[in-house]
Amino acid sequence: MLKMLKMLKMLSMRFCELFLFVSASALFAQTQTRPVEGLRQNTPRVHALLNARIVQSAGRVIEKGTVVLRDGVIQAVGANISVPPDAREWDYNGLTVYPGLIDASSSIGVPKKTKDAQSEASKSKETQAQSTYWNELVRPENEVWTVFSPTKEALKNHRKLGFTAALVTPVAGIFRGAGSAVSLGDTENSQRLLKRDLAQHLAFARQSGSTPSYPTSFMGAIAVIRQTFLDADWYGKAHSAFRQNQAQSRPEENISLAKLNEARQRNSVFLFAVKNDQDALAALNLADEFGLQLWLQGSGYEYRILDKLKQARIPVILPVNFPKTPDVHTPEGALSTSLTELSHWEVAPANPRFLAEAGVQFALSPTGLKKLDEFPGAVRKAMKTGGLSRGGALKALTETPAQMFGLGKQLGSIDVGKLAHLVVTKGELFAADTKILDVWIDGRRYEIEKKPAVDLRGKWRLSLNLQKQDATKLELELSGSEKKLSGKVIRDTLEVKLQKVQLNLRRLRFMFDGKKIGMPGVVRLSARVQNKELSGQGQYPDGAWFSWNAVWFAADSSKLKKAKADSPKKEVVSIPVGSPPGAFANIKQPEQPAAVLVTGATIWTSGPQGILENSDLLIKRGKIVEIGSGLKAPSGAVVIDANGKHVTPGLIDAHSHSGLSRGVNEVGQAVTAEVRIGDARNSHDIAFYRELAGGLTVANSLHGSANPIGGQNQVIKLRWGAGAEDLIIKDAIPGIKFALGENVKQSNWGDKFTSRYPQTRMGVEQIIRDRFKATQDYERTWRNYRSLKRKNGVIPPRIDLELETLLEVLHGKRLVHSHSYRQDEILMLCRIAEDFGFTIGTFQHVLEGYKVAEVLRKHGAGASTFSDWWAYKFEVIDAIPYNGALMHDAGVLVSFNSDSNELARRMNLEAAKAVKYGGVGEAEALKFVTMNPAKQLRIDHRVGSLEAGKDADFVIWSGSPLSTYSKCEQTWIDGKKYFSLPADRELRERIEAERARLIQKVLAQDNETKK
Amino acid sequence: MKKYSVQIAFTIVCLAWLGVTVAIPSDQTPAAKQAHPIALVGGTVHTVSGNDIQDATLLFDKGRIAAIGKHIVLPENVELIDVKGKHIYPGLISANTSLGLVEVAAVRSTRDYAEVGDINPNVRAEASFNPDSELLPVTRANGIALALSVPQGGIISGTSALMMLDGWTWEDMTFKTPVALHLNWPGMFIRRTDLSEKEVKKRVKNRDEKLAQIRNTFARARAYQQAKNAESQEGVPYHDTDLRWEAMLPVLSREIPVFVHANGIHEIQAAVDWALTENVLIAIVGGYDAWRVSALLKAHNIPVVVTGTHRTPRRRWENYDGPFALPGKLHEAGVLFCIATGGGGFGSAHERNLPYHSAMAAAYGLPEKEALKAVTLYPAQILGVADRLGSLEKGKDATLIVTDGDPLEIMTHVEMSFIQGRKIDLSSRHTQLYEKYKTKYERMGLSGN
Repeated sequence: MLKMLKMLKMLSMRFCELFLFVSASALFAQTQTRPVEGLRQNTPRVHALLNARIVQSAGRVIEKGTVVLRDGVIQAVGANISVPPDAREWDYNGLTVYPGLIDASSSIGVPKKTKDAQSEASKSKETQAQSTYWNELVRPENEVWTVFSPTKEALKNHRKLGFTAALVTPVAGIFRGAGSAVSLGDTENSQRLLKRDLAQHLAFARQSGSTPSYPTSFMGAIAVIRQTFLDADWYGKAHSAFRQNQAQSRPEENISLAKLNEARQRNSVFLFAVKNDQDALAALNLADEFGLQLWLQGSGYEYRILDKLKQARIPVILPVNFPKTPDVHTPEGALSTSLTELSHWEVAPANPRFLAEAGVQFALSPTGLKKLDEFPGAVRKAMKTGGLSRGGALKALTETPAQMFGLGKQLGSIDVGKLAHLVVTKGELFAADTKILDVWIDGRRYEIEKKPAVDLRGKWRLSLNLQKQDATKLELELSGSEKKLSGKVIRDTLEVKLQKVQLNLRRLRFMFDGKKIGMPGVVRLSARVQNKELSGQGQYPDGAWFSWNAVWFAADSSKLKKAKADSPKKEVVSIPVGSPPGAFANIKQPEQPAAVLVTGATIWTSGPQGILENSDLLIKRGKIVEIGSGLKAPSGAVVIDANGKHVTPGLIDAHSHSGLSRGVNEVGQAVTAEVRIGDARNSHDIAFYRELAGGLTVANSLHGSANPIGGQNQVIKLRWGAGAEDLIIKDAIPGIKFALGENVKQSNWGDKFTSRYPQTRMGVEQIIRDRFKATQDYERTWRNYRSLKRKNGVIPPRIDLELETLLEVLHGKRLVHSHSYRQDEILMLCRIAEDFGFTIGTFQHVLEGYKVAEVLRKHGAGASTFSDWWAYKFEVIDAIPYNGALMHDAGVLVSFNSDSNELARRMNLEAAKAVKYGGVGEAEALKFVTMNPAKQLRIDHRVGSLEAGKDADFVIWSGSPLSTYSKCEQTWIDGKKYFSLPADRELRERIEAERARLIQKVLAQDNETKK
Repeated sequence: MKKYSVQIAFTIVCLAWLGVTVAIPSDQTPAAKQAHPIALVGGTVHTVSGNDIQDATLLFDKGRIAAIGKHIVLPENVELIDVKGKHIYPGLISANTSLGLVEVAAVRSTRDYAEVGDINPNVRAEASFNPDSELLPVTRANGIALALSVPQGGIISGTSALMMLDGWTWEDMTFKTPVALHLNWPGMFIRRTDLSEKEVKKRVKNRDEKLAQIRNTFARARAYQQAKNAESQEGVPYHDTDLRWEAMLPVLSREIPVFVHANGIHEIQAAVDWALTENVLIAIVGGYDAWRVSALLKAHNIPVVVTGTHRTPRRRWENYDGPFALPGKLHEAGVLFCIATGGGGFGSAHERNLPYHSAMAAAYGLPEKEALKAVTLYPAQILGVADRLGSLEKGKDATLIVTDGDPLEIMTHVEMSFIQGRKIDLSSRHTQLYEKYKTKYERMGLSGN
């Protein structure tokens, strides 16, 4: 009895819960503020989906069960659910129900004009110019939700693939605005919104066009992002100070900064769309710098940076736009396909699996596909070729995006209380021949594909009750697809094909040419379908009506054909080893032996020891210990017999543009001190390997010469295979590129470029001077602010990254490397520097430096020149190859630079030109590419010469480094061997073998698909 | 300039329109005709075609080499020049330049190397060769005695001329013209991987149109040749002159070759196929991929003008030293080649570095003797002037240099230069400015630091 009571109590409690749930839903679901036009529409939204296989989420399957939906919400799900009496029933026998899919990144419903940043910007320029951020690529206030207006067609196309919800993302600009999650039903917009302002979207966008504006470069875009974040922060502070104290100048009103500041305050997600792995790292760095909650809209190259993604716990929205099959069908054409491409082609489909295995959270999205309906095939590829599990794919389209978007309680699985977002399929989701029949969104059904009422395929006994004859015994065979039937009528050994077969609801119509089976003409028939029986009427060729029926007795022959056997299991690809990706990858980073002894060489020390014949070089733990003769090898030392060889310090190029992505120049403005060349670092650039093979170990990586005040430089070692951060010489004094003359006054840019200030050398002088004056003013403003005892309620000055950089120059903490040609401009810049109390680091090119050597000497600037370039433009008409020697003789610190990926491979031979033109001694000449650039870059405490205590950066040459017949044999950095001829030979063999393997794989796969 | 935005990377920026002419004559006075026999005594003669001869005497008269040897009889009025310890080489020949056709590449008014239009067989380089270009003294100071001056642009750019780098007028300076008809082979390969179907079609169409233009040009020239030849026959009327087809007659009669500018494997293959069909003589200029088709080139005796070794590999996955090693590979395969520079407007200022291109090939596999031939005898052979130039032999032109070492070594100085026996002034704008500013710092007491 007690037991019974308990049970009853439990039951009643359950009912209570159920009741409460239902009533809540019923009470509040339909409220709307808009007045009803015409009659109210109150079709009940209570549905029971019966007899379905239910995949609640990856791994949770109910083989046969019921889902009950009430007012857009899942009310019950399970194997033994009682159907509520008010529910409309849907028989899903033989079908599978999945949670609705979520498109994690879509531009659906974003009007075309907002996809085009330019036109939008120009439109908004006039109306909002005063209240938005000055840069038109910065529009954090754009809310995609406010312009969201999908066409019915677009919604349908999404639903066709099983998508029930999407994160709609703005698509233009750097700060693109806020995205929102929406459901994809045909309701009013007001009913669609799931979550507004879900993330702030960013991309490294640039301005293009014939007269581009700021930023034109990748590094410029990053500089914009940095300054914008700082400005937003300042904006918040300024306004809060103004709220406290209104007796001061009112800060500007700016909806862009207000919005961004607000997003920062509530720790909004910042979603970066990236184009490759290096962009992703740039986004990671920015997230670090500004403490952002970062998501990536990925590129497909994530497998290259798995560790970093995992470590930083960055969720990624992955594309599945896998590369097209490389065009390698002719041996000649295949030459144009790089190993990098081949290798990416092979592993790209496995990118999702690699992330899954590494435990990186990811969603899949069709973004980047040319056509939306390529998506199922692409997901299939990620599974079949790439090895992503079925569950993994489902999760990435349901649970993961739902959780990422903070919609885990509403979407992502089939569970009680979640939104009724479902996909009904015949077959496994993503399988090749699977059909999506229905999609449910917020409890409304969208029919994707009409389910045929019946499957009529098979063999039927057909009897026509013809008046003139006995009931004729015939056989009817129906085949084809469920919806598009074909068939034939068979009479003994004769048969005739059916024509015009139509199945409409439950009525079947067809005709056949009776002459082939002994009838006088075309016979037309129609029938109602009842289970396994057809009964209807027809008209005989003579016009007589007759009745007929047919009874099913066997499956048709086509059905007996078994589905094709699965293709043999593909081998599982793994992440390519080595760094950087592609040809000449270092399989592993070179090791640093405890000790290295190079013996018997002619050693060009570029230091006080001069050139030593038949000498030894001892290195321990990456540092030079001793140079002399008869040195003893410590036990375990790597000993290199360099008898007959020459050894020099690693060569240094004081002017390089190698290894930079998307823009060496930021040409959008004349002053771009805020731009950092390091932001554009591409450590994968093969130029670095080729330069190593020419003995180069250090490069001064410079911004281009488009601006009087260009961007910040970076001094790097060519540690091939290391990441961007690990190339930097951390204790090198930072620098900045300046430029003078024709380039900055745009003399050679074309007819359109005649309006940017400056257009003359006079203007160049003034703009530089003005910028330094501005810097002094800026410093004063800050000093005044900092000296305030009470800062509360005082609007703080704004941090200006451009002036911050120039402030470092004024304080001697940043070197100016100024592109220059003519003597007048060289003298001019020296005088500006002297007026402002700093010293120019180097004049670059400085081809008329020989005319004002005494000025350079007295000022203390280094001269980093071309050995023998001249006559390529008007301002170098007086350039002479004796420039280096003349300046050197007059006491200027001279180096030779390359400014070219090609020339940077033979800087030793450039040094020989100082001997040829002007008679500089050989040891001194070599210093033009070793010690002198090291001094100019203020890194001579670690590199530039072979002296005890310095970094073991050295090169072994087959002969004199100044001889054109000599060859670089080994290049070492930090006591690690980064290049050697035998290792290079091994790499070549690897490349050949790997290319051959991959090309064969492409060809084999092509054959397979053709079959 | 549309895609201008990014690549003003390096300091060189082109396409200027400056209303300035900078054709100021150089200060060097052209050498006088050889007036009497000259004997260079005691040096090492590098004949190139034969063995080196040490402590030798080289006698030349009336612009031609009269004798080379250890014991030769000298005429009475001979001028003896002691070159003990020095080296004598043939003057170098640069086989792909824009010298004389450009002064300052970025300044439009000084550019004369590319005529408008695609088909310009009739334009002749020598006719606009500027004898007073400042670039000439600078170039010859490094031992280069002759340069092939090459028109550029379009599909058929014109005919080149082999110019001696000293003289009063271009007529004085022209050694041979026309040397070759220059044809820029259109890009053959269209990489479909990253292109839309539409874009592929567009490019295929564009390429095929260019190929048709080449075929049509030669067909029309042949029709012209046929019609002109028929004029002597009865009833055949006179045909009006067409300068374009007139200029192509020596090509059709195989008197001069077509120099096909082509680097990629597809373009080289296509050029060879075309030449065989068209029955014309060709040489490949560029030849980046020539080693990949060396058997084809050898089988048809097609020489290659390698346009420099100071080039970076074109494909990321290729060997770092590919362009360095190219001449060595051609040599091994038995293909006739010479080493030139990349040429072009911007290249003309760097012509003086020709010998170092060749030395680079020697560092990477080409025998040193071959490297020397690659800038002397081989260009002479390919340009069809080996009977007069390219080596030091009796009867050949006294076009030679005296050096203090191997001219392919940068640190070597060219001390004397003779072109057809005329002693060339080796000073230049560069040496003049050098002397001028040396004086400045000597006066300031700043030199010799």
